[in-house]
Amino acid sequence: MQPLANVTSFKPATTTGAGAIQVFNVSQVFKTTTQDVVALDNVSLEVTPGRFVVLVGPSGCGKSTLLMMMAGLREQTSGTVLINGTPITKPDPDRVGVVFQEASLFPWLTAEENVEFPLTLRGTPKAERRAKAQDALKLVGLDGFGKRHPHELSGGMKQRVSIARGLVQNPPVLLMDEPFAALDEQTRMTMGDELLRIWAATGKTVVFVTHSLTEAVYLADEVLVMSARPGRIVDRLQVPLPRPRTYDMLSGETFGTLRDRIWRHIRKSA
Amino acid sequence: MSAHTLRRLIILSLIVLWELVPRLGLIPELFLPSLSSTLAAGWNDAGEYGHALMVTLYEVSISMVLACGGGILCGAVVGSLPKLRTLMMPIVSSLYAIPLVILYPVFNVWFGIGSESKIAFASIYGFLPTMLGTAAGIQTIDPQLLVAARSMGATLTQRLIYVILPAAIPTVLTGLRIGGALVIVGVVVSEMLISSAGIGYLISRYRTILDSPHVFAGVLLVLVLTIAYSALVRWVERKAAIWQTGTRAGQNAADDARTGAIASAA
Repeated sequence: MQPLANVTSFKPATTTGAGAIQVFNVSQVFKTTTQDVVALDNVSLEVTPGRFVVLVGPSGCGKSTLLMMMAGLREQTSGTVLINGTPITKPDPDRVGVVFQEASLFPWLTAEENVEFPLTLRGTPKAERRAKAQDALKLVGLDGFGKRHPHELSGGMKQRVSIARGLVQNPPVLLMDEPFAALDEQTRMTMGDELLRIWAATGKTVVFVTHSLTEAVYLADEVLVMSARPGRIVDRLQVPLPRPRTYDMLSGETFGTLRDRIWRHIRKSA
Repeated sequence: MSAHTLRRLIILSLIVLWELVPRLGLIPELFLPSLSSTLAAGWNDAGEYGHALMVTLYEVSISMVLACGGGILCGAVVGSLPKLRTLMMPIVSSLYAIPLVILYPVFNVWFGIGSESKIAFASIYGFLPTMLGTAAGIQTIDPQLLVAARSMGATLTQRLIYVILPAAIPTVLTGLRIGGALVIVGVVVSEMLISSAGIGYLISRYRTILDSPHVFAGVLLVLVLTIAYSALVRWVERKAAIWQTGTRAGQNAADDARTGAIASAA
């Protein structure tokens, strides 16, 4: 197992800007009638602004729980989560946009209205809302699809709308909880490239949770590997592959080595 | 021949048969009066039928509000509170199995033979299935939608207005459809049993004096009432439920969208 020294050595001065994520000694304990279940055990990590970080780990390792804490959707038992250098205790769409596994679009609203939804909640005037939604839809490659309802869109298109919704308020951080898990292999590959294009265009900090090792290495600057319950970060890999990433890299030696290294951790804890 | 045309043809031939069969003497007019004599009977006593229709409509509307309004409200509350649900659902479900018409004589004693007893009976008759349907439907609201709304900063009130209410509309409409149809049945049946006014009362009274054309005129009126109601609900459903993906139109649109996407990507 890799020592975690590099994970816990923070340089706060450089990591408190817009888009910085810092997680200090976060634990999550579920109390049941018979025993206490430790879901996350003293997890610390930092993400510098503009990085693409992927969390991987076996099912039930708490990677989604950790992401939900960064989104302010779940409260940790102990520890602190800082976004832009200040604690996050409840959802704050100005700092964090979230994309879920199921696109979670409101089926009674059009694509455009779904993207506008966060702005509607805070009473942004209609014209401004529409303009921002148009920009966001254009960014994700759905120009001209705004008037369609979710059931008129394919799975990949729904996730594009969901990403547009996450970006519409222009938060510095985008959190993604297995966003492509429900898509077929081909759509998934396309969406990965699309996401990297959007990320390069916007410079957001992205934290991306996935089960797929290939997806993890293909997308990430850095992969954080978690162990099964109690969830801990057991390894931290830098991905030295150049950008833009291409399909050829999947069969390269670097890719294989990194992928194997993650797999060994996961097999050990499964 | 399309199903649509075929359906029209069947209805048309039924109407023609209704006129011809009694006229040719294949069925005695006492059992089935011809369509024209039924319409004539209704037309000649239009005032009487009109008054009866008003009474019945009055009872139906009040019962509808009580049964559907109460059923949807109670169903929403019971459906969204797990503890209350476990407590109440077995009771409500077993009540539903009782033939409620046995309560009607009791309501006559309590409320008299006027509209009140009909309203009481029809309201309870329509209430139970509406409530059961709504309670079941509320549970099908995707909790992920509420989490998504929360991640975008929605307050509790905003989640109720922007997520729970719109998500509940299909369920509420189903409740209206079931509850409303049962309310009409409840009102007409109770009018036929013991009463002094309404369409059910007319049907029952003309039956005792073996005046078949007038009986059938009443039956026809109930039929029109039911068809009008279900047409109304269907119209509201079409207006409100564009997101129901089971429809052919929605499927076609989805296919078009995908073709469009491929075309624009190429």
